[in-house]
Amino acid sequence: MAAHWDFASVFANTDALLAGLAGTLRLFAICLVLGLGLGLVVGLARYAHNRWLYVPATIFVEFFRNTPVLVQILWFYFALPILLPFEISPLAAASLGISLNSAAFSAEIYRGGIQSIERGQWDGARAIGMRWGQAMRRIILPQALKRMLPALTNRAIEIFKMSTLASAVAYVELLQQGKLIASLNFNPIEAYTAIAVIFFVLLWPLVQFTYLLERRLKRDE
Amino acid sequence: MYRWDFAPVLANASLLAEGLLNTLKVTGVALACGLVLGLALALFRLSPRRWLSWPAGLVIEVFRTTPPLVQLFWFFFALPLIAGIEMTPFLAACVTFSIQSAAFFAEVFRAGIVSVERGQWEAALAIGLTRRQTLGRIVLPQAVKRMIPAFLERAIELMKTTTLVATIAYADLLFEASDIAQKTFRPLETFTVAALIYFAVIYVFSLLGRGLERRLAVSGESTVH
Repeated sequence: MAAHWDFASVFANTDALLAGLAGTLRLFAICLVLGLGLGLVVGLARYAHNRWLYVPATIFVEFFRNTPVLVQILWFYFALPILLPFEISPLAAASLGISLNSAAFSAEIYRGGIQSIERGQWDGARAIGMRWGQAMRRIILPQALKRMLPALTNRAIEIFKMSTLASAVAYVELLQQGKLIASLNFNPIEAYTAIAVIFFVLLWPLVQFTYLLERRLKRDE
Repeated sequence: MYRWDFAPVLANASLLAEGLLNTLKVTGVALACGLVLGLALALFRLSPRRWLSWPAGLVIEVFRTTPPLVQLFWFFFALPLIAGIEMTPFLAACVTFSIQSAAFFAEVFRAGIVSVERGQWEAALAIGLTRRQTLGRIVLPQAVKRMIPAFLERAIELMKTTTLVATIAYADLLFEASDIAQKTFRPLETFTVAALIYFAVIYVFSLLGRGLERRLAVSGESTVH
């Protein structure tokens, strides 16, 4: 049986796709900011000598790195509300799961980046009278960030891909809209192909940009 | 204050065990197929013939760039209609995750093969080995050792990704957990137990990977990622 491809039924639902795209971008933006921001805090705690910072940060990182992100999202959506006096929206559950997961992964990127900076940089900063916080902010982090950039853009790509998991809790994003279009128009071939193409077109430039950063970093160091 | 009660979950322990078994089954099949297919993709990609390297590169890029859940849905809902075949959730999961991990493994293989010094190739060719013999007997054995940590890391990612099959109703650990949560009205306990089971299994592999990496580092072997 030869399938008859007809993308008109997908184009007729451009509004639904745009709503899905808006949902995907919103979730992506939230998780990017929260994930990479919280990751820096956790990464610094993992780097600290103080055991009260180091131990909880390590437990957090190990737990969220070693459990599947979909399990985390479903936990926040179905399990957490039992302990809370209010409901958790699909967006909140997906944001929590993906952000905390990304925070755990990016924490290790930050820690690795900070550790890769030579001791002499610290000693130099101390010698001219900088405090720890100043040295970290003005000397260490700017240099470390350059080395971490490819790994961080990779994380951003992963976050974008993970955003599709929000469809499991019926959050309106691209894949969820694809499901909707497929079930209303009986055109799963065209609907899911269109969704795959949209994701590829959106992410391809970001992937190429990461390759470029990696090459440039290799050349510079 | 909420009173935790794990008894309903424990009463369904056999379902969870079955789910875990199914999770391991999909992971195992996808891992085995992914490794073989990944090596083939890597060799095609490295080939000087464009009609081999170009399609391999396309497959690798497409499967690394698009979200795994979109791929799974495509293989489960769209492919059967295009190809006119019956598709089960298990088959869709195996096909999707095999090709997807192959795309990632291919890049690991490629990095490993490229990391072996030129001199090894030249010496092997000089003593009369063919390219295929050189690859199979000289280059790959050295490269594979360097790739082990990256392989383990990818295998762990794969096991985490297999949870997506729950969305197409394959009875893996996560699907069984959702089912039990609905039946017993104990989502908190059930999903917490499921998360802990995943953590226990995956953490063991993580520690194994780290141990291997350390050992390789001690023996002076470089690793690729």
